[in-house]
This record gives sequence, structure tokens and C-alpha cells, in this order.
Amino acid sequence: MVADVFHSVAAKYDVMNDLMSFGIHRLWKRQTIACSGVRQGHKVLDLAGGTGDLTAKFSELVGESGQVILGDINDSMLRVGRDKLRDLGRVGNIEYVQMNAEALPFPDNSLDVITIAFGLRNVTDKDKALRSMYRVLKPGGRLLVLEFSKTDNEALSKLYDFYSFNILPTMGKLVANDSESYRYLAESIRMHPDQETLKSMMEEAGFEQASYQNLTGGIVALHRGFKF
Amino acid sequence: MWITLLTAVAESALEQLLNKEPALAVQLAATQHKTLAVTLTDLELCCALHYVGEQQGKARCFVYGNYQDQADCHITTTLSTLQELSDPSQLTRLIREEKLDLEGDLQLAQSYSKAFAGLNIDWAEHLSNHLGDAPAQLLVAQCERAKQRGASHLGILKRTVTQLCQDELNVAVHPLEVRQFKTHTRQLAQQLAALEQRINALSEL
Ligand SMILES: C[S@@+](CC[C@H](N)C(=O)[O-])C[C@H]1O[C@@H](n2cnc3c(N)ncnc32)[C@H](O)[C@@H]1O
Repeated sequence: MVADVFHSVAAKYDVMNDLMSFGIHRLWKRQTIACSGVRQGHKVLDLAGGTGDLTAKFSELVGESGQVILGDINDSMLRVGRDKLRDLGRVGNIEYVQMNAEALPFPDNSLDVITIAFGLRNVTDKDKALRSMYRVLKPGGRLLVLEFSKTDNEALSKLYDFYSFNILPTMGKLVANDSESYRYLAESIRMHPDQETLKSMMEEAGFEQASYQNLTGGIVALHRGFKF
Repeated sequence: MWITLLTAVAESALEQLLNKEPALAVQLAATQHKTLAVTLTDLELCCALHYVGEQQGKARCFVYGNYQDQADCHITTTLSTLQELSDPSQLTRLIREEKLDLEGDLQLAQSYSKAFAGLNIDWAEHLSNHLGDAPAQLLVAQCERAKQRGASHLGILKRTVTQLCQDELNVAVHPLEVRQFKTHTRQLAQQLAALEQRINALSEL
């Protein structure tokens, strides 16, 4: 099901992302980069990276001596990402690898930073994926999870529900001619664990100093954890 | 979220500046891939600047808000002191006077301060691309005149306020005089109380 959804939305993914979030996803991603601590020479994995928004920025930050891996389970998304980044002239320090977050194809202790933006909610076994991320991070490395979450503002929550289940699928139908995929996206957001639950899951997987910050009233949360 | 939005605006403005003033990018070459963080204690805000150099022929930098990581150079100060940094020679004085705390690479801070202090933007040249030569020259000349007029008004305002304060000081009672007056009043009150006691004692006789 997840694979079908992303095959179907890949081509229009970037346009829909800007439309659906009114461009705010760019600010959420900025905050993720600001909290990533990515430096020159780092080896970074943009997991479930899709069309590579974060990869593009990380490739500038790590420089020629570093490396960014754009990892995604879906080859259509990877292809769109690769074409976009090549058009932007980002070549040389980026690798494109098809992978499943639940079984990362890297040796133990080999990455400095892992980010997973709007991807964890689509992963079937989230605990397994978090353990896999912990395993491949170097000691001192960190994981950042950017994901839809729960807002405790009642008015905002109602507005957001109406938007997700009514406006979003209509937009999906009009722009991408695919209301089903966008209905699935809205439902997957509801199923995703809330802030505290995800924090506990990260701790359970071994992450230390796990913390989170709410963005846009908790509609989105940025979780961060370290491996020491 | 507002800080993130502001940093996005700042980043894009700085990139435009870097691309329009190649001399600035040359000056910042030594700071490439280094992070300068600035904590403003009065605003409880830590921002950081990371210049990554040229990418595909364009100068690129990152501006972060709410920065929490280790930086190559970390300055802790207040907003007003930060303005004094536009003169690079003030850096060591400000540190000595403990108005500014600097951790890490002093040269990085000096490079940034020097690069921005030496900036001489040719606004007419940049605006002429959008407005044409004559309107751009006219606009810049008008702005320059307005700036000078503003500066002269500010000068007059400052002088007037200083004069007013001095005049006020001349007629105002000095704190020492107030203290002396209080002491005298207290002594007088004590003498009065003593006198009252004596009158009472005499009238009882
Ligand atoms: C909503 S997109 C996010 C793309 C990008 N990170 C962004 O923020 O724009 C979710 C991505 O997660 C990928 N994905 C879903 N399950 C995955 C898994 N188990 N392992 C790796 N990627 C997965 C999908 O193929 C899709 O590209």
C-alpha cells in the first residue's frame, strides 16, 4: 500500500508538498538542519528522503570531503530526487540508495547524522527501524525525526482535522488526480505516535538525551536523540 | 517558528549581498565551513552563521536560529554591544571590559567583523539593473540626502536634550543638599521634642 502511494505521488510530490503545507514544510526542514549539527566531512543519511530536500542542503554543508546518502524504499521517489538534485548541480558527494529503514545496509557505527523527515509514520515496524538507525550511527552521532504529531490546542486540532480529511484529498484529486493517496496520508498522520510516545520509543531503542520540540503548535514535532 | 522565518529572510538577504559584492565573498573565504555563533543575552537568542563558499558559481551560507551546537567561535554579548563590533578594532577592548565574551577562534570573529566593516555597497549600480541608470542615481542621491538630513536632525535633538538636562541640573536640588536638609529637620524635631518635655515638666510644678 505505502509503496503504491509513493509511486503514484512521486512526480507531483514537491508541488503538492508546497501546496498542502502552504510552503511551511520548508521552515520545518530548516529547523531540522539547524538542529542537525552537520559539518564539513560528515557522513549523513537522509532516510526516507524522497525527493531530497534535506539532501540538497546537507550536500552543501558536508562539502567535498563529506558524503550524503539519499535513502528511500521507493525507486520512483528516488528517481525524482536524483533528477532534481542533478538539475540543481548537486553531484559528487551524494549517493542514491534504495533501502528499507527497518534493515539499513550500513556497517555498525558508520554514520554521523541520520534524518528521517515525514517518513517514520510510513514504516511498518518503527521500533525495528529505530534500532537499526541506532546501530549504524557512530558514537556521538545523532538522529533527527521530523514528523506530524499531536497538537494539544483544541481549535487548531479541529481545523487541522477538517483540513486533512476534506481539503487535502480534494487538493490531491485536483492537482495530482489521486485523492486516495492523500486520504491515506491523512490517515497515516493520525496513526503516528504522539510526541511523548515517540520519545519513549527512541529511548527504548537506545537513544540518549532524547528530546523534542513542537513546531506550528505541535502539528509537527522534531525529535532528537544521541548515541554515546 | 518566527525565528526560523527570520533566519530564512536573513539568509536569503545575505546570499544576495554575497553574490552582488564579490569582494565580501573573497574576504569571507577564510571562514568557509566554519560556524560563528552569537548569543544575545538581552534577547535570549542564539543565532549562527555558516558560510559554505561557492556552490555552482553562487555564494551560499546558512543562518540558524536557536542554535544549540558547538561553534568554531561563540560570542556572547548584548544587541547594543554587537553594534560596536562594526569597528573591528573594538573587539579586544570589549572583551577586556567584559562587555563581550568570546569562546573559540578569535580570528573568525575578526574576519567577519572586518569583512562587513569594509563593505561599501554601490547601491546605484545594483539598482540600475532594475530601475535604469538615471532613476537609480536619483533615488540613491535622495536617500543619501535624507540620511544626512536625518543625521543632522538627530544631532540637533541630541544637543537639545543634553542642554535641557544640563539646565535642569543647574536648578535641581543636589542629593547632598536633600540629605543635609533631612538631617537638619530631624535635629529640629528632636530639639522640639526635648523642649516639649521641659514645658510639660515645668507646667507640672
Ligand atoms: C512523505 S515522503 C517524505 C519525503 C521527504 N523526506 C520529505 O520530507 O519531503 C515519505 C517517504 O518515505 C518513504 N518510505 C516509506 N516507508 C519506508 C521505509 N520502510 N524505508 C525507507 N523509506 C520509506 C517513501 O517512499 C517516501 O518517499
